[in-house]
Amino acid sequence: MHAMKPTAFLNSSIKDFTLNLNNDYRYLKTGYYVSMHAEVLGNRVIPSSESIIDASRTPILLLKASKAGIPTLPYLVTGSVKQIISELGFPLVVFAVNPFCYDGYSIAQNRSALYRAVKSLSMNYKFAVCAQPLKGRMVSFKSIFGKCRMEGEVAKISMKAYEVFQLPICKLHVQQVGEEAYLCGLQPLRMEEILSTDLEMVSEEVSRMSSKGEHLVG
Amino acid sequence: MARIACFVEKYNFSDQREAVALQNFQRTAQRMGHEFDFLFREGIPEIPKYDAVFIRATTDPLFTSYVVSKTAWELGRKVIDDPESIQICGNKIHLYDLFKKHDVPHIPTMFLNKEDLHHKRLLKVFETLGKPIVVKAPYTSFSKYVEKVACETSFRDVAKRYFRKSDMLAVQTFMPTAFDWRVGVLNRQTLYVCKYMIPKGRWKHGAKRRGKPTFVWGRTVALKTENAPAKLKEVALKACEVVGHGLYGVDIKEFNGNYVVVEVNDNPSIYAGYEDSRNKDLYGKIIEYLVD
Repeated sequence: MHAMKPTAFLNSSIKDFTLNLNNDYRYLKTGYYVSMHAEVLGNRVIPSSESIIDASRTPILLLKASKAGIPTLPYLVTGSVKQIISELGFPLVVFAVNPFCYDGYSIAQNRSALYRAVKSLSMNYKFAVCAQPLKGRMVSFKSIFGKCRMEGEVAKISMKAYEVFQLPICKLHVQQVGEEAYLCGLQPLRMEEILSTDLEMVSEEVSRMSSKGEHLVG
Repeated sequence: MARIACFVEKYNFSDQREAVALQNFQRTAQRMGHEFDFLFREGIPEIPKYDAVFIRATTDPLFTSYVVSKTAWELGRKVIDDPESIQICGNKIHLYDLFKKHDVPHIPTMFLNKEDLHHKRLLKVFETLGKPIVVKAPYTSFSKYVEKVACETSFRDVAKRYFRKSDMLAVQTFMPTAFDWRVGVLNRQTLYVCKYMIPKGRWKHGAKRRGKPTFVWGRTVALKTENAPAKLKEVALKACEVVGHGLYGVDIKEFNGNYVVVEVNDNPSIYAGYEDSRNKDLYGKIIEYLVD
């Protein structure tokens, strides 16, 4: 295993299996460019640049997740508050459909809260939003190589989401309805949200993978 | 009979020339026996009802159009522009990285990240590319977010603005020409050829009026594809090979007798009386590709 900084990797032409470790995989950020460059070089890379884009666009996350058998709720992509009310009713959970948003979602219990949420999450109606019905309670947690501190169905979703999107470090938003759990959204982690215990989980996984001999960038 | 959804936003109808082109697409499809509906944001849940999706709203991996493209793609529908093309063409760093790998003749380009913003590195950039240089944000489109700078101070001003959104940017050699070639390519075949003239006293096809929010655009001179230089078409097709099989507008500069690719754009502009004026069959060819 050979570890290197992202900027050094971006200026290199190393052809090897690449593990891209970053807290922030948003589009146009360094984490994205590392995966993109690895793919242009022809390397197998975790995560892929396609996954990086798709996982942070909630409707695509849900579409791909449900295709892979991960439980999800019905969703609506639109910029119209009226359409959301007529098709989904209240209460609702609303996600931004632009990956610039760090603050995951808004819960709307009534019409005025929904107007406020849509205006803010759509960046003043520039982008659409993704609305889902709120049937239970929302739980948000860190997922590191699919492992998390949750149990039961929620933990299963975390593991399955890693299998599908392969984002080593992220935050997941899941809705718990009784015994059932539904994937609702995914977002990057802020640097300060990553604790030393999380780093231990990362290094455990990396040392497990390093026996396979890959290029580590992070 | 196939059902085609054309994803548009309100601004697509604000320019009369584009509105007429969209109507031409609709009429052509209907004449060929297909259904052609305009789909706005509110119609996204209707995508599964259609056989093909044609995106005319501006594309970018951050825009709703990408969600439309990917949704259609995941559902197994034919789509222009496909998500991979949006991903590659929507990010010029990705595009030039592919050009470098596949030896596509392109304008000399260097990539810079935030750590490169220091005197020694910038001196090296000017030494390699000459003065002035063109600074390009990865998400540039319609001649926006592309600026020409001749000194380190102005470079830093521009770079700081572009680095707010992207962690990387591209810098290129400045190549002054009277026009840029625009070659429309569909499914690896030349669809139309035009010259995008540079307005007098400017250096790019679309330039902002000083002190005003409006743009001044150069004329568009269309040619019959068969009358365009063979080498030009060859270079355009080579550039599209690294992107995909969809619909592209390739910008090419003719400099000292050589053709160099400026960029490959997905979602190329098609305005009635401009790109189509010597190649009226382009509407039919695009519809045919969508329903094939």
